[in-house]
This record gives sequence, structure tokens and C-alpha cells, in this order.
Amino acid sequence: MARIGVGKHLAAGVKRGLGLHTPGKSLVILPDDIFLVSFPKSGNTWTRFLLANLRFPDEPATWANIDRLIPDPTGTTKRDFDRMPRPRIIKSHECFDPRYPRVINIVRDPRDVVVSQYHYHRKIKKIADDSPIETFVARFLAGETCPHGSWGQNVLTWIATSEGSPRYLRLRYEDMVADTPRELRKIVAFLGFNTTPEQIAQAVERSSADRMRKLEKEHPDQHGLMRGSRKDLTFVRAAGSGGWHKDLPVPMVEKIEAAWGPIMRHLGYKLSTQAPSEAPDYESLGIFSGSTRQ
Amino acid sequence: MLGQLKYAVKYVLGLDHAGNNYTVFPDDTFLVSYPKSGNTWVRFLLANLIHPNETVGFANINRLLPAPGVLSKRFLKKLPRPRIMKSHEPFDVRFRKVIYLVRDPRDVAVSEYHFDLKKRYIESDVSLEQFVKRFLAGETSSYGSWWEHAASWIAARNGNPAFLLVRYEDLLSDPIAETAKIAEFLGIQAGPERLQAAVERSSADRMRKLEKQQGGQWTGTRNTRQEIPFVRAAKSGGWKEALPTHSVEEIEVAWAPLMNFLGYQLQTQELDSKTIPAWVRMGQPL
Repeated sequence: MARIGVGKHLAAGVKRGLGLHTPGKSLVILPDDIFLVSFPKSGNTWTRFLLANLRFPDEPATWANIDRLIPDPTGTTKRDFDRMPRPRIIKSHECFDPRYPRVINIVRDPRDVVVSQYHYHRKIKKIADDSPIETFVARFLAGETCPHGSWGQNVLTWIATSEGSPRYLRLRYEDMVADTPRELRKIVAFLGFNTTPEQIAQAVERSSADRMRKLEKEHPDQHGLMRGSRKDLTFVRAAGSGGWHKDLPVPMVEKIEAAWGPIMRHLGYKLSTQAPSEAPDYESLGIFSGSTRQ
Repeated sequence: MLGQLKYAVKYVLGLDHAGNNYTVFPDDTFLVSYPKSGNTWVRFLLANLIHPNETVGFANINRLLPAPGVLSKRFLKKLPRPRIMKSHEPFDVRFRKVIYLVRDPRDVAVSEYHFDLKKRYIESDVSLEQFVKRFLAGETSSYGSWWEHAASWIAARNGNPAFLLVRYEDLLSDPIAETAKIAEFLGIQAGPERLQAAVERSSADRMRKLEKQQGGQWTGTRNTRQEIPFVRAAKSGGWKEALPTHSVEEIEVAWAPLMNFLGYQLQTQELDSKTIPAWVRMGQPL
């Protein structure tokens, strides 16, 4: 091992001794933990702001404190995890994990997700500025653009295991954009929180795309999601739905719909092409009507 | 604080238990199953197949076909690649190549009940009927319920060429043919003699004998109730005698679609093929 490697390794050991490492997969999950789960680029950060502002009205969420308010096992230190008030609301991009006691699962139309992730990867210099979206879509379909599986896999592991469970709430990003207070009320009911309409309105206000853009502009390096990234591209981008109609070439739309058509239809995303699908038709199968897990 | 310090030192030396936090390599193969589904038997089969010159037993199975959770990170890193390891994890996206072993949940319930008695996870006055209720709710295992486990893997990977679905029952009724399938999946050239030898060296009788001799040397059986064996009936369909009808019904009502898909005949429920969840058939690309 090179000397620098040993030094780094020792430093990591000291960090561990002090609880300053991020726990990652070793996070000890508590029975009252709540997990905010989504595939990346599906509105997870926005929902984190919403929940932080709802739960901690005395400390408006910013890019500087969000990792402490709604912690991320790969971005928050173990020490901060241990100091959090309970119940903790924890961010995750993982596929199904049976250890999560309660799950809020945000899903988003994969045609918008791919466009969003493409721009994000340009921002964080993971791909070149002129990298063709066609190449990206192929990698996206194969689950190679992030360590959390493909969109279909990630979403499907949650549908197949958790649909119908009282410990699982699924929301669509598109519905949250269309009527944020209504969707937030669903979350509040799911968590059994006591919240007034005023508190909900305040959380929505404090988590608006405009406010998040302003905070990002003021402190563009405050969060790991964008530290060291290109400043000519923003993290908070369109914050809307349906952008794929304009940004995604039709053959790419076809490919996505052919791969994941049944899952998309199940989630209520209308298919735009007649792409032949290898998968059977959801409706005619009475999908999930027979799914009766505990 | 002292505990934290000890952990830090262990971490630096690579001696901390890997738990869930080990590095998975893209060329790793995992033998995955819900607990009590024949995982240890197949570990023996594979270890005997891969190491025909070693005497495989409970004393060395953790080395020959490692269980990453109970081994140190340093040990895992030093294993020759490609590694073949066992796991009880529900879907893990890092596992690229997977042999998924599945067993009739009615038999799994009975087997887990006896195992939990052996391990003293449950008191001896807990009835099987009470146990089944907790089993259905996924409360008897840290790996989720049987449904969650099988559904997460099958939904994400079924149809993928790097995913081999093996039923414990098929392995029992034709161990040579099923072991041959697994060998082919692993790219192991094994003729009939080598297959035959692996199956014989992993027979229930032989494993029972080895358990008697080496039970104290294995994490699965150390400090457990000695009057209850680890290698128990080693057969399928035992639930028909062991499980109260009411418990059979509870399991079938909860999990009929997936049981039906896997070919486990329902005794108390009628099911037409249309209620098979579509995700079961979708075969997602990696």
C-alpha cells in the first residue's frame, strides 16, 4: 500500500472513532424511522425541503442544514444521526429494503427522470457537455447511470413488495407539482403528524422552486450534490413535469416505453408511442389486484 | 467511547465484520435465498463441486463458500476471484450474478420454526400457529417476509441471463440435474462423476454426521440447543403433516399469486393464472 493510502486509511479510522464518518449501509435503523425513498432525480431533494420545513418550522431548510434535518446515510455523519430528534426522516435512493419501518416513495415519469439526470450529470461533469442524450438513454435503461439500479428495477422492487402495505405511501412527483398542499396532507396523514393548514402552506412556500433557486445561487457550494460542479448549470432546473415532450427525441421515448411500458402505465403515466413491448399488458392481467401481502 | 475506539482500530486493520458494508465486485456470484430454504445444503454442493479435493464440512464451509456478513473485510478482500458467496439479502443491486434458491413458504415456515427453537430465538412454548402469524408479517427474520424477499428478486431480475432461479424441491427430486444446471451457470465444467460425488458428499446423511462432529465449530450451530438438529428432515411437503390447516390457509391467502407462479400447488385457494402479478413475468433488463 502506498504511503498516502495508509494515511488516508488511518484518517478514515480516526473519523470512525469519532463518529464523523457517514454510516452508509451500516446505519442502525430505529423502529420509528421514516424513509423518504426515490430513484435519483425524482423530486427527492424538493420533498426533503418540504418535510424539513414542515417538521422543523423554527429552522428554515437551506442547502447548509438539509443533511442534518433530513439526513442521508451517505452524506450525513453518524454523529449527526445519533443526535437527531426522533422520529427521524431519512433520505434514500435505495431499492426495496425490508428494514425500513415506514416508507414514503416518490416516483416520477422516467421520461422526465432521464432528461433531469442527463442535465445533472453534465452539471457535475460526469459526462461531457456535448455528450449525446442517445448514449445517455441507453446507459439509463441499462441501469448504468447510478448505483441504485435502473429506474424500472428500483421502482418495481418497491411496487412488488410494498404496494398495499399500510407502512408504504407512494406519491407521484407530477401530483406534487400539480397540488403540493394536497400531497403534503397525504404525507402528514400517513405519518400521523399534527399539522395545521398554515404550517403546510408555510412549508410549501419555504420549499418553492424559486426559494430553492435563490438559496442555490447564494451558496452554490454548500451541498455535496453540487460542490465543485459547473456553475453555468443549476441543480434546481425546470421543477416541472412533461419536459420530455420537448427534450427527448421520439426514438428515445419509444425505447423507454418499450422497456418499462407496463410499469409506467401502472403508475398512471400515459404512453405516447405504440412501441412494441416484450412485457405483457397490465390492464388485461388485472395487475396487482391479486397482490395481497401482509 | 471505548467501543468506538475498538471499532476504529479494527476498521484500520480490516478486521471489522463486513456486515452489510463490504465491497462487492462485478464478477462476484451470490447464492441467495430466504433463510431455511436450502442455502446451507447448496453451499455444501457448490463447495464440493468447486473443491473436489477438500473435505467440506461445517468447520470450513465459511471459508470455502463464504458468508460475507460474519467474515472480516480483510478476509473477503483476499479471496481469489471470481468469488462465490452466500447471502440472505433481499434484492441487492450490487449483486450482478445470482443463483436464487426458493422454497415452498409452507415448508420454510415449519423449518424456520424449528431453527428458531434451536437457536432460542423463540421460547419452547410458542406454537407453530402463533409463529406462522409472525412469519407472515415478516417479523421472524431481519431479511423481510418470504414474499418481500422472493418478490424483490424476481421482480427485479427474473428473465435476466445472470439470474438463475432454482427451486429447493427440484434440487431434492433430481439433485444431479439441478446441480448440473448450477454448474453450467457458473461456467464449471463438471462431468457426471464429479456431479455425483458432489451430491453424495452433500447428502443429508453425511451432513447430519458432520453436524454431530463439527456443530460446535460453525456459526450456524454453535451454542444452540443440541437436542434439535440443524439438518432436520431435508425433504419437501413436510408442512402437510406439520402445519395446522388454518395456518396453511393464512399463508395461501397472503401469498397465493407468487406461490402459484413458482408452481407450489395451493391447497385451500383457487387461483386463475390472470391474477399472477405482471411484474413476475416482466423479466427486467439489468
